[in-house]
Amino acid sequence: MGEVTVQVAGPGSIGEFIVNHISDFVVYMMFSAGMFFMLQKAKVKKPWRAFVPVVRFLCLGKLIRREKDCRVYLWLTLLLYVIFYLTGTIDLQSLMETVNTAETTEEVLTSDARLLLFCVAGAMAVALALLIYQIRICLGICSTFKRRKRWILLMILGWPFSEFCWSLVMLIWGLKKSFVPYLPEEDTEEGAALSGAEARLLADGLTVNIKERLAKDGFHEKRLLRDIHLSIPKGHMVLLLGGSGAGKTTFLNAVTGYEPADAKIMLGGKDIYKEYELMKYDVGFVPQQDLMRGNDTVLRTLSDAAAMRLPDNMNARARKKRVQHVLESFGLSMLQDTLVDKLSGGQRKRLSIAMEFISDPSLFILDEPDSGLDGVVARGLFEKLRAIADEGKIVVVITHTPDRVIDLFDDVIVLAKDVDRTGRLAYYGPIKEAGEFFGKDSMEGILLSINQKEEGGEGRANEFVALYAQQLQAEKTENADDGKAGAAE
Amino acid sequence: MSAKVKSFEDIRNIPKDELRYKGRGQQILIYLGKLFRMFVFQSDWKVLPMAAVIAGLVCYVVGANLFKNMEGTLLGTFAMSCICIWNGFFNSIQVICRERAIIKREHRAGMHISSYIAAHMIYQAFLCLGQTVVTLSVCRLMKVAFPTNSLVTGSAMLDMAITIFLTTYASDMMSLMTSAIVRSTTTAMTVMPFLMIFQLVFSGGFFSLEGTAQKITNLTVAKWGLTAFCAQGNYNDLPMVSLWKTMNQMKNVEYEGMYPVKTAMDLIEQSGGQEQLMLECAKYNQNPKYESSMDNVLNCWLRLILFIVLFACIAVGFLEYIDKDKR
Repeated sequence: MGEVTVQVAGPGSIGEFIVNHISDFVVYMMFSAGMFFMLQKAKVKKPWRAFVPVVRFLCLGKLIRREKDCRVYLWLTLLLYVIFYLTGTIDLQSLMETVNTAETTEEVLTSDARLLLFCVAGAMAVALALLIYQIRICLGICSTFKRRKRWILLMILGWPFSEFCWSLVMLIWGLKKSFVPYLPEEDTEEGAALSGAEARLLADGLTVNIKERLAKDGFHEKRLLRDIHLSIPKGHMVLLLGGSGAGKTTFLNAVTGYEPADAKIMLGGKDIYKEYELMKYDVGFVPQQDLMRGNDTVLRTLSDAAAMRLPDNMNARARKKRVQHVLESFGLSMLQDTLVDKLSGGQRKRLSIAMEFISDPSLFILDEPDSGLDGVVARGLFEKLRAIADEGKIVVVITHTPDRVIDLFDDVIVLAKDVDRTGRLAYYGPIKEAGEFFGKDSMEGILLSINQKEEGGEGRANEFVALYAQQLQAEKTENADDGKAGAAE
Repeated sequence: MSAKVKSFEDIRNIPKDELRYKGRGQQILIYLGKLFRMFVFQSDWKVLPMAAVIAGLVCYVVGANLFKNMEGTLLGTFAMSCICIWNGFFNSIQVICRERAIIKREHRAGMHISSYIAAHMIYQAFLCLGQTVVTLSVCRLMKVAFPTNSLVTGSAMLDMAITIFLTTYASDMMSLMTSAIVRSTTTAMTVMPFLMIFQLVFSGGFFSLEGTAQKITNLTVAKWGLTAFCAQGNYNDLPMVSLWKTMNQMKNVEYEGMYPVKTAMDLIEQSGGQEQLMLECAKYNQNPKYESSMDNVLNCWLRLILFIVLFACIAVGFLEYIDKDKR
């Protein structure tokens, strides 16, 4: 076998370590400095984060809107370090001696040699994955700076041994004044003013006071909802209107307590968040998809739903009676022995609603119950919901085709994305007044006015959010004046 | 003290804190009902005939020498472990991930994740038991010579059944855990072959491993299943036939006008020492890990049971976060 030599780094001082890794340090600083200037150009707060390991990549991800790619890149880098650490546990000195003295391949392939080969194979696989993610990130950078994609070739030059070229490009782009990141307008503007109002507490109804709902995505925090205050009296059927991404489902999840917000939600005088374990049985949420097991019969599905949602101290006969009553009222009696998989779209939807209705909840929420249903079936379904509301329940419905059934609703909640892309309340009140407020004669017209321009809308969401907040502020001041006058009298 | 609810209308008049809902134990029964209905209405029952087909194939290929000689036993028990792992993996790899959205809905409506997993554990135990019975019956039908001496229970067949059951069930729980961790059936089916290859390569018996790789074998279900099978099959006391077979292939080799291998073989056969030679040969290939003792088998069973509990706990831990699933 040929002579093989290898340099093994022994323990040394920090100075020695720095000297050994000086090139790595220079590359790191070039990349960070480049990113620092990029963040400054983008007017991102705390641009010094560009120098913090790990965090700098998360900042880059946010800047170029490729957070997930940057996160995966970081995980892959960590994996590569683990592989390097494993390689470090191998006694390379004695391994090389074995290689030099061995006469056959079998003698060379000791367990250490095999581990080394395994690590090399693993490192190659991870390096390949890193390259793919580096290309994705570089594509994001080019797209943010509106530069040609051919820059990527320069950025990935040196893979997998050095990030020097990438760092150099980052530094040049950061320093050169003509290289400016193009970010959507909303990232630099301020959101609409807050109403500062609190909804009046209703003894029997639903009172929603949401300050904000934040979502954490790694180190990045995003505000999904803000400043939503409203009270819905019992017996009301309310339409929840909003464009795509306006936060309708997030709002409903916050109201039901599934994903709590910084808020106070009161239902019938009880705090849903504080008494969640009890209150969850008083809230029925019908999801958009019909989430049921297709291999069960209608009767078994409803009976199991009853067993889970109705109190255990209710006797079996009463429970059975309730199941039969709900089957009849939803027109499912004839289908009770049919498998769920065999039901039509409308029948499935009715069963899905019946599963939540079985416990007779005070608050009944439905996420697009009419999706996939024809006009006649949908109308019948909404009439059923109206009947439920008339029994003294609160029914909140999301639908994308509200105008065909608008006569059945009492009120409308309009959610819209403000310039911060945060879900805000643009209006809550009676249907008729909603038309006057937005200057439109249909719900679809309202939706069109608040939708973003790139979605084909008029892009007036921020205007209406601000207007409604002003209206609430004015009401608040008026109420406060009335209160003072009353106290003086 | 909770109030009695005689009719549905009473619920509205009783304070909410006096109402009691189904506890974990009762929820297990509800979900067991669902799962057994699935066994009938869906295709779950098909795992039993599938187990029979796989067992039949393996017995046809490796059954003749199983528990008769060292080589046949190692190969056969490895194949048996493969059957168990295959059956276990296929029983549950998709059961949770395919209904994640349903579980999320039900969790929000009051379902306890521990009850859901416990119901699955009971149901999967039923499937594994069925597969164990089917596999053993097929082996008997195909005249596989099972060991006659029992090490633990007094019945060699029962010992074997317990090992098959525990190996299948531990694999089943590993696959249930995987199903609870991943979010789609596509991911589950992508991960499964990797898990399977890992189990087979690191079974520690069929492939020779050293150092760290040898230590990793302790983490596989396959190793403890294979060890228990070999211990029960009295592996270390079985003859080794490789040498005799090789000599037989070399008997016509000529050396300076003579046939030394043939001469030696004739001599051994005439003195009736063929069996003794095979046993002597086996002595040099014994593996202390496969020691045929009650302690060894019990140790393997205990490890498999620990795996089962560990996998179930991990499944519960991961599924508790199901509410964080995005739409």
